[in-house]
Amino acid sequence: MAASVKALLKLFFRKPMTYRFPPEMPLSEFSRGRHVLDMEKCRGCGACATICPNKAIEMVERETEDGKVRKYPQIDMFKCCFCGLCAEICPTGALKLTNFPWLVAMDKKSYIMPPEELAKPPELQMPPMKVKPKSIVDWARARSLWIVFYFTGCCFLEAAPWASSGFDMERFGLLTKGSPRQSDVLLVGGYVTPKTLRRIVRVYSQMPRPKYVMAFGCCPATGGTYWDSYNVIKELDKYIPVDMWIAGCPPRPEPIGLAVVMAMDAIQGMGYQGKEEKVPEEVKVPYYEPKPGEKEMVFTVPFGPQHPASGNFSIRLRLDGEYIFEAEAVPGYLHRGFEKLMEYRSWYQNIMIVQRICVLDGASYELAYAETVEELAGVEPPDRAKYLRVIQAELSRIQSHLLNIGLIAKAAGFDTVLNVAWGDREKVLYVRERLTGSRIYDIYSAPGGVRRDMPEKLREDVEEMVKKLRPQLEIYDDLLLKNPMFKERTVGVGKVDRDTAVEYDLVGPNLRASGMGFDVRKDVPYEVYGDLDFKVPCYEEGDAYHRTLVRRDEIEQSLNIIEQAVDEMPKGPFRKKVPFFMRVPKGEAWHCIESARGELCFYMVSDGSDRPYRVKVRGPTFDSILVLLPKVLKGAPLADVPVVYWSFDNCPADHDR
Amino acid sequence: MIELKDLCEDLKERFGAETSVKGSVCYVKVEADKYLEVAKFLKKEFDRLLTISAVDFIKESFFEVYFILYRFDGRVYCKVSTKVPRDEAEIDSLSQLWPNASMHERETWEMFGIKFKGNDMLKPLLTEEWTGPPPFRKDFNWRKYVAEVYRIPQAMR
Repeated sequence: MAASVKALLKLFFRKPMTYRFPPEMPLSEFSRGRHVLDMEKCRGCGACATICPNKAIEMVERETEDGKVRKYPQIDMFKCCFCGLCAEICPTGALKLTNFPWLVAMDKKSYIMPPEELAKPPELQMPPMKVKPKSIVDWARARSLWIVFYFTGCCFLEAAPWASSGFDMERFGLLTKGSPRQSDVLLVGGYVTPKTLRRIVRVYSQMPRPKYVMAFGCCPATGGTYWDSYNVIKELDKYIPVDMWIAGCPPRPEPIGLAVVMAMDAIQGMGYQGKEEKVPEEVKVPYYEPKPGEKEMVFTVPFGPQHPASGNFSIRLRLDGEYIFEAEAVPGYLHRGFEKLMEYRSWYQNIMIVQRICVLDGASYELAYAETVEELAGVEPPDRAKYLRVIQAELSRIQSHLLNIGLIAKAAGFDTVLNVAWGDREKVLYVRERLTGSRIYDIYSAPGGVRRDMPEKLREDVEEMVKKLRPQLEIYDDLLLKNPMFKERTVGVGKVDRDTAVEYDLVGPNLRASGMGFDVRKDVPYEVYGDLDFKVPCYEEGDAYHRTLVRRDEIEQSLNIIEQAVDEMPKGPFRKKVPFFMRVPKGEAWHCIESARGELCFYMVSDGSDRPYRVKVRGPTFDSILVLLPKVLKGAPLADVPVVYWSFDNCPADHDR
Repeated sequence: MIELKDLCEDLKERFGAETSVKGSVCYVKVEADKYLEVAKFLKKEFDRLLTISAVDFIKESFFEVYFILYRFDGRVYCKVSTKVPRDEAEIDSLSQLWPNASMHERETWEMFGIKFKGNDMLKPLLTEEWTGPPPFRKDFNWRKYVAEVYRIPQAMR
């Protein structure tokens, strides 16, 4: 107990983790934001419109001063995914990405940017916020907006830091409520599938008036990346009114701040009451009702999809009193049909879509895709690229494990650890952005190597990050892992023995906590893992506590790996040029890597054309969550569900694809 | 330790399988009526089942149904595949051999419309109230569907 108090005191006398708002510009010199066009350099060749995987770019005609008609790109920011393929292919360098992330609007049409608009350098305009309040009610309402989050998709990962210590939304008077009945604002984070839409409409209709809706990311506005998926709704405002749109894929957390300030300004200054309510009748809303004629204390309780601890995933629990006697996983809220989407895009265009399969650990998916294509095409990336890929993958692993430690701490009732861990995660994301150009969706590994070289200052950034994170691990020990209260909630809970783990195909940290030391990095080495020195942490007990312990130990090992990789970085080229519209010889390939959640495999078939014939993604969570979790939950009390669920470290987007 | 070459010889002799080895992966092709027998035989040799899925070869008019296994000792993968005619897509289920097989078969049934004999779990997994054809079949054109249902004409561009 004394150790926890000491650790808390240590934290108390430290510099605060919260960033300033509005932040000083530029936020980061390396992030990918709005485009800027040099109209004089542009030749109007249309290469950008051809390569754009989202069809966000359209070529429009403009008359020049000397009377000629020329073509220029027009970009819809609410379709763009900010991958930068257009800037990469541009032969004259006329189209470039800036680091400007502030794309917030009440009318989504206002961000269809014609070439003249694109030519102007971007500028941030903050609302004045000094308008005299219309009435005291509006003033009070503007300053105490309560939010109900509905994290439908990937954007969750950038909206979550907004709620935690780094960006601290509570200073705006915002409060998260798991229940829609007390909330003013519904924040929809990410793409919406028809299955999710029915639940969103239900949440929306339960909110009291006036109600406001914010849509986070490009997908709710136009379909975004999934514009050609059969199972994603393209325009959310056809079903519920949306007051504020935030563009980005995913947007950074700061633009939510701008959106909130704009909303406060509108509510306070104009008494804005939200758009008119219209919920179409045809969207049927399913209810879960207990079957008639059952015992009195037998209930059916859905855990999720709109539950603060579930993610967009549901488990149907059958309870006898407080204890579960039957459980069934109900996935599919995030199904976009990736395997088929990739068949419609060329080999190179796919590097922009593949990490979106699982937002929590996108880098591993890029890596697995790039390696499988290289195996099919017979391309060998240069050594420097291999080291850079290792750094990227390990950074992604650390941030994913930190996220999970925060979530399991929250599930067990330790909110402080949640805020500390997610604050530390920001440090990792900072380095990741400097290396790859994005906090979440790197789009960094491509067949043939990586897309940009290591920045000069990365060595110092990594040193600083490691120096900050190593002592933090002891704080997690003191506050969480050695804490008797946390042990009581997790030791012996959700136990899986070794034979069951192997039979049910458990992988990654979950398998290693059950006594099977299988790690693809060690057993079937890829990239340069064979040359690096690291241990594979392994425990025998196989309960929720030891699964968390494995993740904590892995953070330490990953920090070692990153240090080694930076030290031993060879000189030379960082990529081998492969053509943008390359063809891959006929054949099949099965390739596995170790992602943060375990063994991730790609199976690809090529028929010799410019796009894959079939892609199969075998994610690490499919078996553990859909098959094993319901079995483990049998006999457990209801209160243990979040702890067991997060100890398996689910990523619903991974098993739904 | 397991020698992939010996395993291949064994499979060739017993089941008349076509085999090839690439790196740490062994590719095995068998006839549809030997599919379950081969799976029973390999269950003793390998530790875990990774996935069951299919590929739609529409020009040749068959589905390739496959499953993939891993063995810890020896660190080898094994992919076993078989051909199923497209118009009468039916194959034996592996649900009696591995506990996670039925969930993978359920997804394959939903996405390709391939029936698995002996699997009692075949109901929609990822979609809800979907009435169209199995979405991963090659003759179902997503872009055409999106252009019509969501009224996005540029999908056909």
